[in-house]
Amino acid sequence: MADVLFSNVRIFDGGGEAPFTGDVLVQGQRISRVVKTGHGQRSQPVAGVTAIDGGGAFLMPGMVEAHTHFSWNDQPSLDAIQRMPPEEHILWCAEVAKKYLDMGWTSCVGAAAAKPRLDVVIRNAINDGTIQGPRYLAASQEITVPGGLGDTTAPHLPQPEFAFGAVVSGPHEMRRCVRMFAKYGVDTLKINLSGESITGMPSEMSQFTEEEIRVCVEEAKAWGKRVAAHARSTWSIKKCVELGIEVIYHASFADEEALDQLEANKFNHFVAPGLAWLINTCHNASQWGLTPEVTRKMGYHRELEAAIESMKAMRKRGIRILPGGDYGFAWTPHGTNAKDLEYFVRHVGMSTMEALLSATAWGGPMMKMGKQLGYIREGCLADILLVDGDPLADITILQDKARILAVMKDGEFHRAPPLQGGRAVRTGMPATVTRWAA
Amino acid sequence: MDTLFTNVRILDGTGAQPYSGSVLVQGNRIRQVGRSTAAISPAGATVIDGAGATLMPGMCEAHTHFSWNDAATLAEIQTMPLEEHVLWCAKVARRYLQAGFTSCVGAACAKPRLDVVTRNAINAGQIPGPRYLAASQEITVPGGLGDETLPHLPFPEFSFGVNVNGAEDMRRVVRMFLKYGVDSIKLNLSGDNFTPQSPAGTTWMTDAEVAVAAEEVKLRGKRIAVHARSAASVRQALRHGVEVIYHASFTDTETLDMLEAAKDRIFVAPGIAILYAMLNEAEAFGITRARATEMGYQVEWDAALESLSKMHKRGVRILPGGDYGFAFTPHCNNARDLEFFVKYLGFTPMEAIRCTTLYGGQIMMQPHELGVVKDGYLADLLLVDGDPLANLAILRDPKRILAVMKDGAFAKEPPIGDAFGRLLAGSEAQRAWGRAA
Repeated sequence: MADVLFSNVRIFDGGGEAPFTGDVLVQGQRISRVVKTGHGQRSQPVAGVTAIDGGGAFLMPGMVEAHTHFSWNDQPSLDAIQRMPPEEHILWCAEVAKKYLDMGWTSCVGAAAAKPRLDVVIRNAINDGTIQGPRYLAASQEITVPGGLGDTTAPHLPQPEFAFGAVVSGPHEMRRCVRMFAKYGVDTLKINLSGESITGMPSEMSQFTEEEIRVCVEEAKAWGKRVAAHARSTWSIKKCVELGIEVIYHASFADEEALDQLEANKFNHFVAPGLAWLINTCHNASQWGLTPEVTRKMGYHRELEAAIESMKAMRKRGIRILPGGDYGFAWTPHGTNAKDLEYFVRHVGMSTMEALLSATAWGGPMMKMGKQLGYIREGCLADILLVDGDPLADITILQDKARILAVMKDGEFHRAPPLQGGRAVRTGMPATVTRWAA
Repeated sequence: MDTLFTNVRILDGTGAQPYSGSVLVQGNRIRQVGRSTAAISPAGATVIDGAGATLMPGMCEAHTHFSWNDAATLAEIQTMPLEEHVLWCAKVARRYLQAGFTSCVGAACAKPRLDVVTRNAINAGQIPGPRYLAASQEITVPGGLGDETLPHLPFPEFSFGVNVNGAEDMRRVVRMFLKYGVDSIKLNLSGDNFTPQSPAGTTWMTDAEVAVAAEEVKLRGKRIAVHARSAASVRQALRHGVEVIYHASFTDTETLDMLEAAKDRIFVAPGIAILYAMLNEAEAFGITRARATEMGYQVEWDAALESLSKMHKRGVRILPGGDYGFAFTPHCNNARDLEFFVKYLGFTPMEAIRCTTLYGGQIMMQPHELGVVKDGYLADLLLVDGDPLANLAILRDPKRILAVMKDGAFAKEPPIGDAFGRLLAGSEAQRAWGRAA
């Protein structure tokens, strides 16, 4: 692995300060030097590195997607996802994993897989170099109850293989289920605490007993695993705080009490609302039969309003809100995930700076890697994006693959910068001419 | 993107002597092959100055097992979970293509759908890989080669192959694989010294069972390939009209006469690398030469060399490939077969090359458009540093395989550094994706 020197780049270091012009040296898998240049300072000479003149491009930490479903296959229903055979499904996941890295997501937090081992296998294959993909935390299937969100079995087709989620009933079955996923090697247990309006059980309803949730958390902790919850309803949000569920997905209907609880424990939780699902289900799914009239009846427009209010309130209280969520449906296709940052700015009232930080600075602890990730600082892991333009001026450019000039993960280029063409990004590699035959 | 190779030594794959010239590729086909150094007008094509390198057809592997995972036993292959197994196959497919095999004939897979899924993913452009004909699992009989169930673990999932017992059982299994979309059905007609309970000399499928398989396959326009080491199994295959015969170690005059009579129809891929490796290179895996001899490998090796040399003299098409994917025959050394053909079977180097080019197009069922460097043929091409006729070993050296083109697109790009020393972003991206799948 060659060491890389980025020079003449505008550095957004993840700390919340305005970007500065400087150089970044990557040695091995880590950032070894960050230097401000200009104002009479110039970089020290280095030898034996690949030098990349960034031509003023924006250099920032790789982004972290907090709620990832590689195995959702851009289909319009859970059933259509579940019907993909396992062989095709694993190849699909591999393809999607690469796509996320292409788009600048150097870390992803798995939020549930559609078959028991998909996430675990993909994580392992990324880690051993079989496939390309982001750093990844592998999730279980969604654990749910008979009739709950994720139970796609039919009365005449009751086999568990037909279910999108893992269906349990009672603390005993819950324990067995958590143990099975722990055995398979997941990082996270995903539990569906609330309903989901499109599946029949409204989002305001909650489906598990407190005892079942308690067993899930207890058993996960016994194996050193994390629990993440699909929690749209007020009750389910409160149970996450009360029972110690670290990752809260959606949190649409947070009332005053829930907000107080969250604020009091704000460094124990991460909230990833997955606004893209609500916004696009309300407004961009007509082609699949979900016209605004239909989704209004389902309750999604009301939920969207509630979710935006909840997120605004959480932002004011300093609760960590992270991007990502439920990309992988027909109307929220994989690879468009950076729209979440735009939604944070447009709907939640974040500044572009806050939106960027939500994908970087909070990504490290979300990935259980503390401050090693999410910063352009000496000693941090070299997950780096080179961006054509200024996301602080226009957050939407992060949705455009062509504007993400380069993606580096763990000190290695996944996508090397284009060295010919429009942008002035050049290397100082020594000239070599190769002939193949004497 | 069109490509013009200039200044190359063209080894066209038909058996003709190489000549200097240039080759123009347009779209996915070879459009013009120029003899002499007279320039072909490039007309917007990317020009690749071959500097005298050899340009030859992409190679064909006639007996491929992507799902064998370089393990030392069938049980170790079978215990790989399904998800990992698919990713393994995808990785191996990419490696074969990069090694210069632009076509592979699947000879059996370790779980029912692995070959079909890999073929489909290659054809859809989801993963890089050679042109591929997908096989079924090995179909065998209880106790035969491929039956890895144990008395206390009788479940079909424990079995490497699919066990059938009786003609109607065979019909159901063949129909299942045809439903899954295989291009060929694999039958184990004989045993193998690898499995001492069913050694190479034994033949155990009934004619009624084989006939039903042949009937079903014919109905759907597919093909049967057989594992046939014993003379009786080779004759059985020929009686039932089988086209692809793997191994054919033991023959007698009657069998050779039958093979010769069918020579325009059949292909023999002996896979002698595994015999050689078991005798000479498997000690690290607990199989000493003495142990291999005890298992019967010396007897089979001697018989196979005699049988195959005679077949070659009688004009039977013998193709390289076979049983790479074990610990002692790891994937991507497959071109070694060509050296074995010259060293042990009396082939000339030119005959060995022709086995993997001209005959390759034929076994891929595309005899008029694949396997030869000729106007109108599919652009599956290798650029090789050196002369394979002088040294066949360069065909298994990744550094000497300078470029691999499949269907008009580079699977391995020629290593060009431009005069300004710029990294080429495109090729960088290509390499990155290459690692992925």
